[in-house]
Amino acid sequence: MSGYQPQTSQTADSSAIDIHSRAVSYTCGDCDGDVQLKRGEPIRCRNCGHRVLYKKRTNRMVQFEAR
Amino acid sequence: MAPAPTNTQWSTDFDTARRQKLFQNPPKDRTAYPTLAAAVDPHIHSFNQIFVKGGHLDEAIKEIGTKVFLDGDPYAQPEEVGRRNRLSVKIMDVFLDKSVLPPTNKVSISNRNILPAECRERHVSYRGKLRARVHYRINNGDWLETVRELGQVPIMLKSNRCHLENMSPAQLYKAKEETEEFGGYFIVNGIEKIIRMLIVPRRNYPMAIQRPSYTNRGPGYTTLGVEIRSVRTDQTSQTNALHYLNDGNVNLRFSWRKAEYLIPVIMVLKALVETNDRDIFEGIVGTANSEGLAEKQFVADRVELLLRTYKVYGLHSRAMTRAYLGEKFRVVLQIPEDLSDEDAGTEFLRKIVLPHLGAYHVKEQNDADKFRMLLFMIRKLYALAEGECSVENPDAVQNQEVLLGGQLYGMIIKEKMDEWLNSIRFPLQEWGRKNEWKPFTSQEFQKEFLAKILKRAQGEDVGRAMEYFLSTGNLVSPTGLDLQQTAGFCVVAEKLNFYRFISHFRMVHRGAYFAQMKTTTVRKLLPESWGFLCPVHTPDGAPCGLLNHFAHKCKIMTKGVDVSAIPQVVAQMGVSSKASASLDASVVVQLDGRILGFCSPKQAKVIADTLRYYKVEGTHNIPLELEIGYIPNSNGGQYPGIFMSSQSARMYRPVKYLPLDKLDYVGPFEQPYMSIACTDPEVVSGDSTHVEFDPTNILSIVANMTPFSDFNQSPRNMYQCQMGKQTMGTPATALRYRTDNKTYRLQTGQTPVVRPPLHNEYGLDNFPNGTNAVVAVISYTGYDMDDAMILNKSAHERGFGHGSIYKTKICDLAEGQRKMRSAKTVNRLFGFAPEGVVKANWRETLDDDGLPRVGTMLRSGDVLAAWHNVSYDQTQGDYINLDGQTQFFKYKEDELAFVEEVRVIGSETAADPCQKISIKLRVPRSPVIGDKFSSRHGQKGVCSQKWPAIDMPFSESGIQPDVIINPHAFPSRMTIGMFVESLAGKAGALHGIAQDSTPFRFDEQNTAVDHFGHQLMKAGYNYYGNEPMYSGITGEELAADIYVGVVYYQRLRHMVNDKYQVRTTGPVNSYTGQPIKGRKKGGGIRVGEMERDSLLAHGTAFLLQDRLMNCSDYTKATICRSCGSFLSTTPTVNEYQRKNNKVFQVRCRRCAKLADSAAPKTEVWSDGQGLRYQGGDDVTTVAVPGVLKYLDVELASMGIRLKFEVGP
Repeated sequence: MSGYQPQTSQTADSSAIDIHSRAVSYTCGDCDGDVQLKRGEPIRCRNCGHRVLYKKRTNRMVQFEAR
Repeated sequence: MAPAPTNTQWSTDFDTARRQKLFQNPPKDRTAYPTLAAAVDPHIHSFNQIFVKGGHLDEAIKEIGTKVFLDGDPYAQPEEVGRRNRLSVKIMDVFLDKSVLPPTNKVSISNRNILPAECRERHVSYRGKLRARVHYRINNGDWLETVRELGQVPIMLKSNRCHLENMSPAQLYKAKEETEEFGGYFIVNGIEKIIRMLIVPRRNYPMAIQRPSYTNRGPGYTTLGVEIRSVRTDQTSQTNALHYLNDGNVNLRFSWRKAEYLIPVIMVLKALVETNDRDIFEGIVGTANSEGLAEKQFVADRVELLLRTYKVYGLHSRAMTRAYLGEKFRVVLQIPEDLSDEDAGTEFLRKIVLPHLGAYHVKEQNDADKFRMLLFMIRKLYALAEGECSVENPDAVQNQEVLLGGQLYGMIIKEKMDEWLNSIRFPLQEWGRKNEWKPFTSQEFQKEFLAKILKRAQGEDVGRAMEYFLSTGNLVSPTGLDLQQTAGFCVVAEKLNFYRFISHFRMVHRGAYFAQMKTTTVRKLLPESWGFLCPVHTPDGAPCGLLNHFAHKCKIMTKGVDVSAIPQVVAQMGVSSKASASLDASVVVQLDGRILGFCSPKQAKVIADTLRYYKVEGTHNIPLELEIGYIPNSNGGQYPGIFMSSQSARMYRPVKYLPLDKLDYVGPFEQPYMSIACTDPEVVSGDSTHVEFDPTNILSIVANMTPFSDFNQSPRNMYQCQMGKQTMGTPATALRYRTDNKTYRLQTGQTPVVRPPLHNEYGLDNFPNGTNAVVAVISYTGYDMDDAMILNKSAHERGFGHGSIYKTKICDLAEGQRKMRSAKTVNRLFGFAPEGVVKANWRETLDDDGLPRVGTMLRSGDVLAAWHNVSYDQTQGDYINLDGQTQFFKYKEDELAFVEEVRVIGSETAADPCQKISIKLRVPRSPVIGDKFSSRHGQKGVCSQKWPAIDMPFSESGIQPDVIINPHAFPSRMTIGMFVESLAGKAGALHGIAQDSTPFRFDEQNTAVDHFGHQLMKAGYNYYGNEPMYSGITGEELAADIYVGVVYYQRLRHMVNDKYQVRTTGPVNSYTGQPIKGRKKGGGIRVGEMERDSLLAHGTAFLLQDRLMNCSDYTKATICRSCGSFLSTTPTVNEYQRKNNKVFQVRCRRCAKLADSAAPKTEVWSDGQGLRYQGGDDVTTVAVPGVLKYLDVELASMGIRLKFEVGP
């Protein structure tokens, strides 16, 4: 089983520049809304104040050999 | 018109559409499975009883009463200080709030509730704030009030302090719970914990006991005694025991704060009421001139002695006796110094002597009750000594009750509060010492009491103590709570599968104390348990018979019932207050350990029968749950009388009362003396009073799920009860919101074709536990020997038994830094260091934020999350990283896994940056050779081969088995139920119906084989379930017809991938050089003595050498041939050559001499210190076990030399 990783180098390049100022979006555990968070920001939903956020599924292609 | 309420009636049918609808639209009114919710009622209701008005805690604070502290130097003489001031403190009320956000959280405005699901996800405890309203006063001033916070106490789910109480399935689903969530457990640090029910002696019933250990109390003590576990209204208990001495004397024993005390029983009697010797004599022997007094010489003699020996104390009045007791016990009872001895004695009687008859506000009447009860106990003890009655068995369920989780929880809270109040003494004294013993009346004291003194009292944080109790199961208690164990009260409610989960709530333990007992008497299955404890559902092995499960219809009382009408009713039926001497003339009538009176045995039967009729009828205010323990007179049997109990913690179960054809509840105490028919045909007219509703009522929930269990040999049903709980099934439907450390899940669960209607009633189809498989009983390939089974490869490829494991990994940056955390003190952050280099291979599994990408595959050694050190910069209000280093959490396991969910966890205040994430990983586990499967009849087996479908045998209709098992699995195990299930499953599958598999439905006239055989015939199959089959390899018909049918198969959680252990080389113990132990560490499996013997016997010396030497601590060691020592050899150091020039030699220092100048240069060598030697060159290298050298060193240290003779 080998993972399929397309354009690995390219993603790493572009992200290396502003990786830290870039916000990552999460899903709120309560209201299901989108939460954009940057590094060091307190963890809570802006909308409902909920304290558990889920990471979204990666938008990278995920492909495995089915064997 | 309102929609019809949700239907709660279930049959054995599949009800696919109905269940689908229940899932799609969870009902908004009530659960469709009320029986399931009722199964955990004892837990929830007992917890509810703690905090309700008039509940356990209300009673407890009354029992705790007022604590009094005196001012001034405690060591000063009374005449120096004069009159001391009193500070009285008492708790008025205790409140437990629901779980809400702390006030420091300023973010959430609308919804401040913390729901249990959030606690699971955040790995914290589900708890609410406990507050106490405390009143205090100085001397006789006004009571002043203050409210203290006692910390955060864990709350039981679905209790009256939980947000989930009374939620409908639709609301529960919104709250991220199961739609059928039934609560009954606690969440502590994200783990679900449950307080196990415990068997304790029956309350308020004096039990006749014979115990060899009683003689250890001192000289004269016999093995006989009468013991009563007296339970106060707050459910705490105090055991009082009467000991019979050789000379006929009787002593009262009790424990107080883990210490035992013995006092003459007459002293207690005289202290309780104003009495005289004649009263006592008549109370024990019987009234003068009463029937049978002449035969009572045995008792009369002993009572005379009892009274005579007591004369030495010279205590005559009640007041004197109380003062005497008070003087002796005031210190151990922590009675305030300014209370008189007599009052201290009264306090002693209140707290210790039969407190079930009055533990607070004790009136004359209560003391009289205690007096009479004590007299009765002495009577019973003499009866026992005389042989008039038999001993009672403390291991029988008849003499037991259940200590419920809520009751224990309440008891601990009570004790912690009591301890807290007592501990005010220490800060008070400290304050006094620092302030020159200023009186309590001084201004300073009143100013500082709340702020400085009360605050310093230890043990105010009851919440933390409760959390500790739940998370460890350890009871830290100065009194021991009258229990025999201090650990093992709580267990994790594992959600491995639903059977296991539900079993935790029906589980009852005999006590950890009995686990170490060598005798097996406590483990025996006794007939008294009928209908209360399941005879099948107990594990085998160490906890066998100690860890029982309740029968599924057995209920536990959680609240006393109103019995105020009973004394009146009983009095009307004619009882007298005086007892005759003979048991044939008068027997006792008791209610909850209180004597109502005495009556003749004939009358007793009438009273018992009438009360039973009234209670079932529901008239005369007699509650249905009352237990009327009528013990008839017998020839040396159990002590007769009527013993009624109404209080909580009793087991009871429903049966049908025949005279009224109505529901009646019976308890374990009364049951042995009742005639309850098992089935309707067994009713004996004139004898049977009751009949069972269903014979399956005696089985537990899990035992009920074994199909046709009445056809199986009984141990097989026990095995199934165990294996059902180890099955990979469906642990939960809200898996998304759960963060269990490890859960197993079967991807292709099905509903069994063959199941009892109870399966639906308990909603078990919501949590499927296995797969229906076509099973052929045939010895086909030879791969099905010895309980192996062959899996059809195509069945496997279609998903048969496919499962996965979910593991949760917590990455906590603040781990080990237990202090006040705030946004300012954060010193680590998730993510890559801002200035650091980010390598491309890190980014394969990690996202921009340094957290793993959801969906990626992980292999051993992959990075799970990145973090870096930071410090808070006040000026920028930002976290800055100085070292530019990124550090990682790594995935260390060998197996491949997928990231299923990543939870970013915020703090309760919602103001801190991310310090904790929880990652759920999925490990796919498709069945492989070596995985364990089982049918529901204790027939487990290991998959030995995945056989290609083309080579599997096939039937005339082209059916190929999914599973092949060997016929040899049956003769010795006699699991006929599996044959019947196979038959029923086949017929059910052919006709598309669900088959009822309830046990005890067939008999000799209507056999199961006939029933299902006809169904098979109707479908065009062989009546007996056999079919001609053709070899998949040759295509020829097999010589015998093969038994093929549909059996529900469970995949057990024991899988080779978690178990295989293999090594050639690997980590070794640094001390001995031998391989280390343990699969996790890559260690080896020990070749022990027996294995060694076996290898020796086979003459496989080379293999032996390989195991014990080459693969273990093989070492090359240098030894001196002439002196035979390992220890004296030393490498030489050449003066002229470089160190790392590897041409050193080894010489024996012991045989060498210091070189003289005449020595030839080639013979001289030098050691590390530069000393020059010559000789000692008879050194060689041998291969020895590493430990041999170690042994040599150890022996040398003791002055023993080993000398080895090396040859040739």
